[in-house]
Amino acid sequence: MRTLIEPRDERSQPARIVPGYPQTPWRNPKQPLVKRKPTLSELTGPLEVAKRVSLLGGDIAGHGDKQAIGQLIHLKVRVRDEDGAPVGGAMVEMWQANGAGRYVHPNDDDHAPPDPNFYGAARLVTDDTGLFELRTVKPGAYPVPTKDGWWRPPHVHFSLFGKVWLSRLVTQMYFPGEPLNAQDRILNAVPDAAARDRLVARFVPPTGTPHDALVFEHQIVLRGRTATPEQS
Amino acid sequence: MVPTGEATIGPFFPPRYVDAGANDLTLLEGRKAKGEAIEIHGRVVQEDGTALENLVLEIWQADALGIFRHPADPRCAQADPDFLGWGRAATDHEGGYVFRTIKPGAPEGRAPHVNFMVMFSGLMRILKTTMYFESQRENDSDPILSSVPAGRKTLLVAKKQSPSSYRFDIRLCGDGETPFFDD
Repeated sequence: MRTLIEPRDERSQPARIVPGYPQTPWRNPKQPLVKRKPTLSELTGPLEVAKRVSLLGGDIAGHGDKQAIGQLIHLKVRVRDEDGAPVGGAMVEMWQANGAGRYVHPNDDDHAPPDPNFYGAARLVTDDTGLFELRTVKPGAYPVPTKDGWWRPPHVHFSLFGKVWLSRLVTQMYFPGEPLNAQDRILNAVPDAAARDRLVARFVPPTGTPHDALVFEHQIVLRGRTATPEQS
Repeated sequence: MVPTGEATIGPFFPPRYVDAGANDLTLLEGRKAKGEAIEIHGRVVQEDGTALENLVLEIWQADALGIFRHPADPRCAQADPDFLGWGRAATDHEGGYVFRTIKPGAPEGRAPHVNFMVMFSGLMRILKTTMYFESQRENDSDPILSSVPAGRKTLLVAKKQSPSSYRFDIRLCGDGETPFFDD
C-alpha cells in the first residue's frame, strides 16, 4: 500500500498560540517540534477502530415526538486523501452543540437550555466513495466564557481516522454566510484565507428533496497541500 | 503566576467519546492478546504544573512481535488477530491516565515504542509524541529517538515502576516539556 505524505503548508494550519484564547500559551509546546522521517510506525495506523468503540448512527436529529429542536439539516461530507482519492472505510466522529448553542457536557454553562432529544454526537464509517451523511439540527452559536465578546459561530467538530497515523485529523466545519465566522478566534487562527474557506461547508439550494431539511456539502482532505486545516 | 481561567472553550468532547474499556488493548472482542500485559500510566500537566482533566489520549503501537496491524507492514499477515494496537483514554481530575496494553516488540529498525496523541482544549492542533521503554538496548539506535535533541531524549523514556508497570508523564509546555513531533 503506497502512502504519500506531503509536507504540510504551515500557513494553512492554525497558529498554536492565539491572542484572546487564554489557555493556548499554557498548553502548547514552547520548544520547536522535532522533525522526523516517517517510519512504518507512522505510515501505519488503526483501521478497525470500530472494534474498540461503538458506532453511533448519523441520524441524530430524532423522530416523531423525540425530534430535536432546531433547523433540520442534512450534511454530506466527502473524505479524501492527499491525492484527492476518496477514503472509504474511515471512522468519523462528530459532535456539536444543540440548536440553542449548548453541549451535552458537564463543563458547559447555563447560557442556553439543553435539549432532551439531542445528544449531539455520532460515530460512523465512510462508504466506498469516502462519503458520510448526517441528519442533525444546525448548531447554535454560543458565547465563550472569556466574556470579552468572543462567540463561537455555529460549527461541527469532526475527528477522523485516515489510513495511517499521520493522517489522523481533528477539525471543525463552519456554515457559509455566518456573521460570526469573521471574528472567530479559532477559525481565524488559520492565516491563509483559502485554507479557511476549506473549513466552510457549501449550501446546496433546496430542490424539494429532502422537503424538511437544508442540505450542506463539505469536503475534508486529510493531508497534503490542500489539507483541511486542523481545528482542535 | 497568573492562574489559568477555568473557563472551557471546548472542545466539549461528548461523554461517550471515551468508551468504557477503550484504554484496555489487552482484550479485543473478549479475546486476550498475546504477549506481556503491561500498564502505562502517567500524569498530564500544563506549563504551571496544573493537572489537566478530561484530556484525551490515544495510542498506536505494534503487537508483541513488533508487527503493525496494517497492510503496509510486510508482516501484517502474522499480526496477532486479537490485538488492535489502538486505544483511547481520558485523564482524571489529577491529570492521571492509564492504558493496559501489550509490551510491543521491536519493529524492524526500531526500538519498542508506543505512539501517543493528545487532544485538549487550548490545543489548536493535536500533539503527537512517542514513548520508549527504560533499559531497552535498541533505544540507542532508534532513528526517531535519535532525532530528539540529546538533553530531551530521556523525557520520552517511560520509567519501569514494577515488572509490569511503566510511568510516562506528559508536560505540554515549559520546563521538562515533552518532545512533540512535527507530523
